[in-house]
Amino acid sequence: MEQPSGIAESGLANSQLPGPYPVGTYALRLRDRLREFARVQLSGEVWGFRRGRARVYFELRDAQGALPCSMWQNEFDRLGVQLTDGLRLVVGGGCDYYPGSSTSSPAFSFSVSELRVAGEGDLLVQLERLRKRLASDGLMEPQKRLARPPLPRTIGVVTGERGKARDDVIAGLRRRGWAGRLVWAFAPVQDRHAAPRIAAALRELAALEEIEVVIVARGGGSLADLFAFCDEALCRTVALLRVPVISSVGHHTDRTLIDDVAAVCCSTPTHAAEAAVPIDCRAARAELHRQAQRLAGHGRRAILDRARALSHLSRAPAEHVARHRRQLHQKLRELRASARRMCEQGRSRAGVHLLVLSRTAARASSSDHVRRRADLERWALALAAHDPERTLARGYALVEDRDGSPLASAADVRAAGEVTMRLHDGRVPAEVKE
Amino acid sequence: MTERTYETAVARIEEIIRRLDSGEAGLRETLDLVKEGRDLVEYCAAELDAVSQGLEELRLEELVARLEGAGAREQ
Repeated sequence: MEQPSGIAESGLANSQLPGPYPVGTYALRLRDRLREFARVQLSGEVWGFRRGRARVYFELRDAQGALPCSMWQNEFDRLGVQLTDGLRLVVGGGCDYYPGSSTSSPAFSFSVSELRVAGEGDLLVQLERLRKRLASDGLMEPQKRLARPPLPRTIGVVTGERGKARDDVIAGLRRRGWAGRLVWAFAPVQDRHAAPRIAAALRELAALEEIEVVIVARGGGSLADLFAFCDEALCRTVALLRVPVISSVGHHTDRTLIDDVAAVCCSTPTHAAEAAVPIDCRAARAELHRQAQRLAGHGRRAILDRARALSHLSRAPAEHVARHRRQLHQKLRELRASARRMCEQGRSRAGVHLLVLSRTAARASSSDHVRRRADLERWALALAAHDPERTLARGYALVEDRDGSPLASAADVRAAGEVTMRLHDGRVPAEVKE
Repeated sequence: MTERTYETAVARIEEIIRRLDSGEAGLRETLDLVKEGRDLVEYCAAELDAVSQGLEELRLEELVARLEGAGAREQ
């Protein structure tokens, strides 16, 4: 390589290698050399398709290796195909290298100019075969039969140490109002070492009696990135763990094998955390408070209501008697009033009768009374005519013996010897002298 | 008798309240149910308290070391 002008740096001491050359110059020469490689057709499965600003990017993989590929976006869009993970492709193109700059990173890619979809990829077929094998071995069910504690005190989490999933798990637990003990078992979640490390972390967590449930969480990525979670050994480990495993690997569109064997599979780490603590602790506490109050109310009423009922019953006989007494008094008052009315009516009727009788009697006796009065007057006159006093008044004298008996004959006067002469104005004693 | 869990306790509390609300329970049964309900509420409150003391985060190896330390002290 030619030595560019204006080089200031001196080379490494004792080095036999040429240079130093500016890296940009070397990178450009590398790009040129790579472009000299023969243009060829390659076949493999597509993984991790994504769109950039001007180009689309994906990996082409098979069991032996992989190559990053890129294609101009307008050329790709003209093909009208959708690339999903695992799709088998045949592509035509050649090696290319973007040398980068002081502000951008370099990148190698196989620059694709032609592309044809060849069919479903081998990796997806292998995945489906493995899924069926696990199912036929009965490994999809054991986890789902495990009882999940509604309120675990200690939760184990297997995730990447620097991933966003870690924060999401904590956010999910906080949303539940859960604040127990969280045990982190960090493991790589995206390379060929990931699966055994994740399996080991799960076994260690399950070996601790305190751990009641385990979350396995990883954020989104291409299915290729998530392939560690389709490892057969890892899936068999999960299936036979004593604690329930809640998986949240990738997004809801992804379906890894660990999702199939786990007790519960969630779309995000936040949801996995909520599945690990099915109860909203704050709501549960409020509900418990309400229930405690209702129980206390029932306990209180059980006594008070019955005490009131007993009190009412104890008063009942007295109230019964009082009611009857009131009724009797009322009847007595009515009776008296009725008797008064009857008396007044009788008196009134008797007065009328009396009046009628007196008038009748008066009418009956008036004529007899006049007649009797005339008789009496006549008899009075007759008697007065015979009154001796009236005779004496005319000058006559009445001779009486000592006893006052009248003497009507001279013989009687002689016989009496001493007599009394009664005149109208007094008595005079007299003596017979012959 | 099945082991008491938070879930079974909550279910039993709800059953007790339904029975009490029905008004069919006599005095003795009511008092017994209220007592049982109070015990269950206390149990549930203790379970909730156990996961409300503040989030404690620790690594697996820390927990293992702590448990091993506790085991060694017991011996």
